[in-house]
Amino acid sequence: MGKIYSLSDAISKFVHDGDHLVFGGFTTNRKPYAAVYEILRQGQKDFIGESGPAGGDWDMLIGEGRVKAFNNCYIANSGFTNVCRRFRKAVEAGELLVEDYSQDVLMLQLHAASLGLPYLPVRLMMGSDLVDKWGISKEERQKIDKLPNDKFVIQDDPFHPGHKVVLCPVPEIDTAIIHVQTASPDGTCRIIGDEFHDVDIAVAAKHCVVTCEEIISDEEIRKDPTKNSIPGFCVDAVVLAPYGAHPSQCYGLYDYDKKLFQDYDKASKTDEDFKSFLDEWVYGVKDHEEYLNKLGAVRLSKLKAVPGFGYSVDMTKEGK
Amino acid sequence: MADYTNYTNKEMQAVAIAKSIRNGQVVIVGTGLPLIGASLAKRVYAPKCNLIVESGLMDCSPIEVPRSVGDCRFMAHCSVQWPNVRFIGFEANEWLHDTDRLIAFIGGAQIDPYGNVNSTCIGDYNHPKTRFTGSGGANGISTYSNTIIMMQHEKRRFMDHIDYITSPGWIDGPDGRAKKGLPTNRGPQMVVTDRGILKFDEQSKRMYLAGYYPTSSPEDVAENTGFEIDVSRAVALDAPDPEVIRMIREEIDPGQAFIKVPQ
Repeated sequence: MGKIYSLSDAISKFVHDGDHLVFGGFTTNRKPYAAVYEILRQGQKDFIGESGPAGGDWDMLIGEGRVKAFNNCYIANSGFTNVCRRFRKAVEAGELLVEDYSQDVLMLQLHAASLGLPYLPVRLMMGSDLVDKWGISKEERQKIDKLPNDKFVIQDDPFHPGHKVVLCPVPEIDTAIIHVQTASPDGTCRIIGDEFHDVDIAVAAKHCVVTCEEIISDEEIRKDPTKNSIPGFCVDAVVLAPYGAHPSQCYGLYDYDKKLFQDYDKASKTDEDFKSFLDEWVYGVKDHEEYLNKLGAVRLSKLKAVPGFGYSVDMTKEGK
Repeated sequence: MADYTNYTNKEMQAVAIAKSIRNGQVVIVGTGLPLIGASLAKRVYAPKCNLIVESGLMDCSPIEVPRSVGDCRFMAHCSVQWPNVRFIGFEANEWLHDTDRLIAFIGGAQIDPYGNVNSTCIGDYNHPKTRFTGSGGANGISTYSNTIIMMQHEKRRFMDHIDYITSPGWIDGPDGRAKKGLPTNRGPQMVVTDRGILKFDEQSKRMYLAGYYPTSSPEDVAENTGFEIDVSRAVALDAPDPEVIRMIREEIDPGQAFIKVPQ
């Protein structure tokens, strides 16, 4: 089937300037960082981004000026950086087109996209400034083909007379990138732990790039289909990228790298330190393997999840 | 022997949260103080409550304190790992079925007398002085669920008019939610701050001081509230039981992730 790609080939083939791009994962969990770093290295830009619950993934792309417009619902490396700092700076400086939806609406929009629905009717956001204020004006929206002309439209609910309903646009996603624990060469994916919105975007996007911790055979992955999440038909590229979610978590395998998130929290405070951080961890390394070597075996082994917990616990401290 | 009588205002807040939870409730928690309070409720005040988080993880009982609602520390010890959209559907159906079990904790940077909360920006939305994360799950939660709002009690945060309504409360009074097309039988029940507990008048839906901590006073609360606040109904709240403080420090948050132990 030819779906196995190197990270570099997958990103150059499926990620283009101006793409409507979505990542899987949740703030500091199973974010496809290896792929984000490769996009940064290759230079694609002018993305229309959907945040999902975003973190450093989108913060880095925003900080590097790669994002043309961003549909936001939440962006934080929670517990490390409570509002992502490059996002905050870009919005405060008026350098980023940003639209706000509630997280419920944004996640339902991605789900609606996976269902192929023409638009999404909700009772959410009413009574709040999410409906009274627009982040991206009608005029700006008309200049960008990939943005819908309206943030939403409010109409009478045809089935509940006297009630209003908020009709939201459904995103037309060019490329989704997700990181999973296991995949097989034909693209079949196995996500362990919460799938978040990853399955939705894999189905909805025109192209889906999967980075994974391990590749097993097509026969092996079919031995227990109850554990599988995405059929290979929805996947364009399978990339072997062990620790590809680092510094975020990957359930059952490794925890977040607290030190790296703390360092990013500090670095993202200023333009200079942010640049040095990326020079050191992204632009200064050739590829994902060099990144892993730079981190080192000891550092990575300390992140290893302990069975029964799903995250890292220092068991040598138990029973002393 | 450690001293557990030197409680802090944060611990007092956690205890106030814990006491507000009842058996049988399904509690939407985030991280931070609400999680500490809810964990305490599960041990002491309401052992038959269940915790859920907006990422979709159901009936959570984390052993180690999680940093985010998507943290593996929540994911590891729960009953079902739903995707977020299932949580949203569940939240809406709880209202559609008129099942009054949900109680949710949300927080923000600014609040007005009717419990409308801002967690989006300070200043003009299109040219903000300070920009925050955005709604997260709070808007949906405050649409469909009863809420308890966590706030730092400062004059600049308790304002007559907030800069942006991220999460709707009672809007502008008893008819506010109906006018906006929001469920009228749901809304903010309480505000828990580092100075006391505030509730909403049944008739006017305006905030009033219901209780103040031993470290605070009605005058202190009025002075640190940026709008006129009725303190006539306020009662003095008891200091927390040292055994409860011991539990918070030794069992629930021993790593002091969210509550620092005084030196």
